[in-house]
Amino acid sequence: MSKVTIYSTPTCVYCRMAKEFFHKNNIQYTEHNVAEDDAAREEMVQKSHQLGVPVIDINGEIHVGFNRSELERALGLK
Amino acid sequence: MYDLIIVGGGPAGVAAGVYAARKKIKTLLIAKEFGGQSLASADIQNWIGAKSISGFDLAKNLEEHLRAQEEIEILDGDFVAKVEKSKGKSFKAVTESGKNFEAKTVLVCSGSHHKKLGVPGEDKLNGRGVVYCSTCDAPLFGGKTVAVVGAGNAGLEAVRDLFAYADKIYLLVRGDAMKGDPVTLEEIKANPKLEIKYQVEVREILGEQLVTGVRYLDKAKNQTEELKLDGVFVEIGSAPNSDLVKDLVELDERGQIIVDHKTQMTSFSGIWAAGDVSDVLYKQNNISAGDAVKAVLNIYDHLNKNK
Repeated sequence: MSKVTIYSTPTCVYCRMAKEFFHKNNIQYTEHNVAEDDAAREEMVQKSHQLGVPVIDINGEIHVGFNRSELERALGLK
Repeated sequence: MYDLIIVGGGPAGVAAGVYAARKKIKTLLIAKEFGGQSLASADIQNWIGAKSISGFDLAKNLEEHLRAQEEIEILDGDFVAKVEKSKGKSFKAVTESGKNFEAKTVLVCSGSHHKKLGVPGEDKLNGRGVVYCSTCDAPLFGGKTVAVVGAGNAGLEAVRDLFAYADKIYLLVRGDAMKGDPVTLEEIKANPKLEIKYQVEVREILGEQLVTGVRYLDKAKNQTEELKLDGVFVEIGSAPNSDLVKDLVELDERGQIIVDHKTQMTSFSGIWAAGDVSDVLYKQNNISAGDAVKAVLNIYDHLNKNK
């Protein structure tokens, strides 16, 4: 099974879309709220060199933003 | 061959889709996603019929309403990159992923996108301190120093989003006055975190891995200065997504599709446009929906006449 981590903020609509996508496809994931968790924010910037959410880590592969077809590919759903 | 291809999944595209389905027009709707630009709004209070709704829920409602129609085909997750003239009077829509569809008529509801500053460093640092969605990313700037570029309502709202997080916020204004809503302006001016700089023209966004500042021209002093920053929020308005039909229809000087406001017809017979991509004076969800309905009713008449 894929190891999925999402770095998100509560106000970010693309984060919600990504999480909804995971639920629909029965994908287990770990979520870090980078608005409150400074350590997770640093980790996200380290991993992705990005300061924008969502950042999604799938088995060590970093995806920036919510792109459904890209995630489907990375998770082997299609 | 479809009777109609609708381009876009915002309020205009979805309204058109619902009406087209109910008129039993053989329709394909192609949309990258649903909800349009309001998708990222935390709270919409002027969508008629809902006292308060988030952009996320508005998008969901629109999608559900559209999918409840039996008489429509939907292709989502893709978008129309180009509309071309095809055999006879028909059109060919080519999508980003390379799919082709033919139709007798096309309704363009492709909306608009965030304008960029167009300065060095902006693309390189996009997502690395350069932000185009303040609602999404303001919480990442806790304790930081940031600038908002833009004097309209979007700029003021970005400032307001940032008050809860950033320590210091500069509002960089090109001219010598604000353009946004006076009530919001009074409200944000009272906050000591904010410093407004007028006559500022951003020339470059500085930084290697992440944003470290901006270089700008102070037009009053006529000299170049630098500001140390952790983030730059670009809120300078929007530009229409009209590239897909720019070789066919007439555009105005801002790139908006010129339409007949009675019918939404463009200068090219067989192509209609509605919503923010058109030269409608007021960019509003409710107006986009209404204009798209007008367009579909006119397309219905057109298809009947040309049977």
